Amino acid sequence: MTSVRVRGLWKRFGQQVAVAGIDLDLPSGKFIGLVGPNGAGKTTTLSMVTGLLRPDQGSVEVVGHDVWRDPVEVKARIGVLPEGLRLFERLSGRELLAYSGRLRGLPGAEVDKRATQLLDVLDLAGAQHKLVVDYSTGMRKKIGLAAALLHNPEVLFLDEPFEGVDPVSAQTIRGVLERYTASGATVVFSSHVMELVESLCDWVAVMAAGRIRAHGTLDEVRGDHPTLQRAFLDLVGATGRDTATDLDWLGGGR
Amino acid sequence: MTNVTSTVVRLKLSLLRNGLRQSGGRRTAYIASAVVVLLFAALQLLGLLALRGHEHAVSLVVLLVAVLGLGWAVMPLFFPSGDETLDPTRLVMLPLRPRPLVRALLTASLVGIGPLFTLLLLVGSAIAVAHGAAALVTGIVGVVLALLLCVALARAVAAANIRLLTSRKGRDLAVLSGLVIAVGAQVVNFGAQRLGSSGLGELDPAATVLRWVPPASAIGMADSVSEGSYGIAAAQLAISVAALVLLVVVWERSLTRLMTAPDGSTLQAAESRDRGTSTGLSRLLPAGRTGTVMERSLRYIWRDPKTKAAWVTSLAIGLIVPVFNALQGTGSLYFACFAAGMLGIQMYNQFGQDTSAFWMVAMTISSARDAYAELRARALALLVITLPYAALVVVVTTALLGDWAKLPEVLGLSLALLGAMLATGAWTSARFPYSIPQEGHKNVAPGQAGLAWIAILGGMISGALLCAPVIALTIWLNVAAGGDAYTWLLLPVGAAYGTAITLLGLRLAAPHTANHLPEILTAVSKG
Repeated sequence: MTSVRVRGLWKRFGQQVAVAGIDLDLPSGKFIGLVGPNGAGKTTTLSMVTGLLRPDQGSVEVVGHDVWRDPVEVKARIGVLPEGLRLFERLSGRELLAYSGRLRGLPGAEVDKRATQLLDVLDLAGAQHKLVVDYSTGMRKKIGLAAALLHNPEVLFLDEPFEGVDPVSAQTIRGVLERYTASGATVVFSSHVMELVESLCDWVAVMAAGRIRAHGTLDEVRGDHPTLQRAFLDLVGATGRDTATDLDWLGGGR
Repeated sequence: MTNVTSTVVRLKLSLLRNGLRQSGGRRTAYIASAVVVLLFAALQLLGLLALRGHEHAVSLVVLLVAVLGLGWAVMPLFFPSGDETLDPTRLVMLPLRPRPLVRALLTASLVGIGPLFTLLLLVGSAIAVAHGAAALVTGIVGVVLALLLCVALARAVAAANIRLLTSRKGRDLAVLSGLVIAVGAQVVNFGAQRLGSSGLGELDPAATVLRWVPPASAIGMADSVSEGSYGIAAAQLAISVAALVLLVVVWERSLTRLMTAPDGSTLQAAESRDRGTSTGLSRLLPAGRTGTVMERSLRYIWRDPKTKAAWVTSLAIGLIVPVFNALQGTGSLYFACFAAGMLGIQMYNQFGQDTSAFWMVAMTISSARDAYAELRARALALLVITLPYAALVVVVTTALLGDWAKLPEVLGLSLALLGAMLATGAWTSARFPYSIPQEGHKNVAPGQAGLAWIAILGGMISGALLCAPVIALTIWLNVAAGGDAYTWLLLPVGAAYGTAITLLGLRLAAPHTANHLPEILTAVSKG
């Protein structure tokens, strides 16, 4: 079963082509990693898939509903943690969750109950009354994750959820996500840290220069390579670069 | 080690020079502002000299010095980055004892345009009130004391608040600074006009208190000596000196603490206060999207510095213009509609006020109905404040002018105008969203200024045009024979018209909002 179905997705910013025709079927109930170097178009793709950016061409279906024609069905079923966009930072962590949950039409008492549990699990209970503007990067990612999980979505889209996050917070986020996918939900997240993707994901799509270079289960994408890192460098064509001849003066003492 | 003072003074001069060397624009700005400030000071000086011998001169002088002192006290709160030597945390790694450091920093603070301006004003004040040799000598002592008091006050306030000033809260405060100056200028302007019409005698009651308050007491003592009241002069001298000593001690204390204690501002609080989840506010608001959105909008008015600044400006100007006009006897009651107009502007660029956090809203809007609920809730949040405030301004203005017969029609007009502003505000929010940068004083992101102007100016003109039926009715009832008896009708008519046009505006804005969520998000995410 597919949770996300992308066909012929294009996006240009002026002369720059950010996403150059993506076709992708993401299986449901899996932990899916979207990997690629900086500027590969990961954020643009995720924005278009979640309805935050209008594509120039192409279609996106999430759990069987078209994102642009049937937003009512889609928006209730997905959770999003975007990268580079603010939260309502002048609310405290708890107020942000209360706002977010009620805005999605959940009953107030249920929102407060879920918020308390999420704040506890994500280790934010001590800072729940602090304004989000005073949160650290890791805390912001965690409160963003809590807001994305609050309405129990079927598919969760996370853009660089581990970027700038300390190891303790990263482990917490990881634990929550693993429990969530174990229940049959789908997580799609982008990253450029291969070790992380390799240890977390069952399914991987590799992106470079606005195109999908490879996709499939971790084993399929890794192929004969010892690590995902090697496979990835091979796929994006970065292994051929030999640094031995240049910079030969560097290191080795005087 | 006695050279600390000269080193710090030279440091200050170098910082000043290097700052000017950085760019031609900065140099020009500095020189221009220096010239303007000095010209202004010179004019004040001449004015004060002309005041010499005036019966109420001392009242004005004492008030002037008190205001000057107040200015020095609040200056570091609003312009924390103005003086790098002002930040003692930069000197933390140097092996300095507090006492020589205090002396050095105090001396260094005397260098600059601000102190020179203050000195000129103080000299003028002293000359204006000092009669006779003894008084002149006291005056010189008073000037020196007052100047040191001003500078020490600024330093003490800055040192006590440096943690605040370098934190997020301090930067929030700085956003409000322009506003305080603008509103303050209005009040001063009005006060000066009142004085011009009714004479300096009005100041006497204030002056009898202020002459005992440092730094005004230092100048007040020159006047006391002129009058021959040496006892009072001695008491004023004692108060001034005591205040100076106190300020320096307080400053030295906070300086020592700053330079020895670690900065704890980045430490995480171990346990925060436990508060109830729902505040009193949310219990009063309706359930569902409406109440949720209203609650956030109202919280943002208080907590977001940009939104707060915009609101305070609107509230202040909306009150000042009609009330001051009424006080001067030149005003018309119709000026009271100004409040409704000013407050209605807050409905403009609703989504820009969200910044890129608008994505959280966009993720929950999937139909025109959702968008309608969202916009209506924002308009309601506005009305919670605007409606009583606009009514209050109309009532106050009416009371000042004593024209109670016109109250219903002006209130009706205000409501119609408010409705038109909300309607056009909602519509332009959907059609012409633009970003509001969160840092600095700019309210429009680069490249979107034209958009902002179209939205606000076009919106206001069409808002006024939309009111035309109600305005026409008002004119007709006032002009037509026997029409005066029916002007009360304008209150229900204005209210109904305002409500209807707001609802219409929201209806028209909602589908466009729901269909253009990604475009709005892109437009409000710049900066």
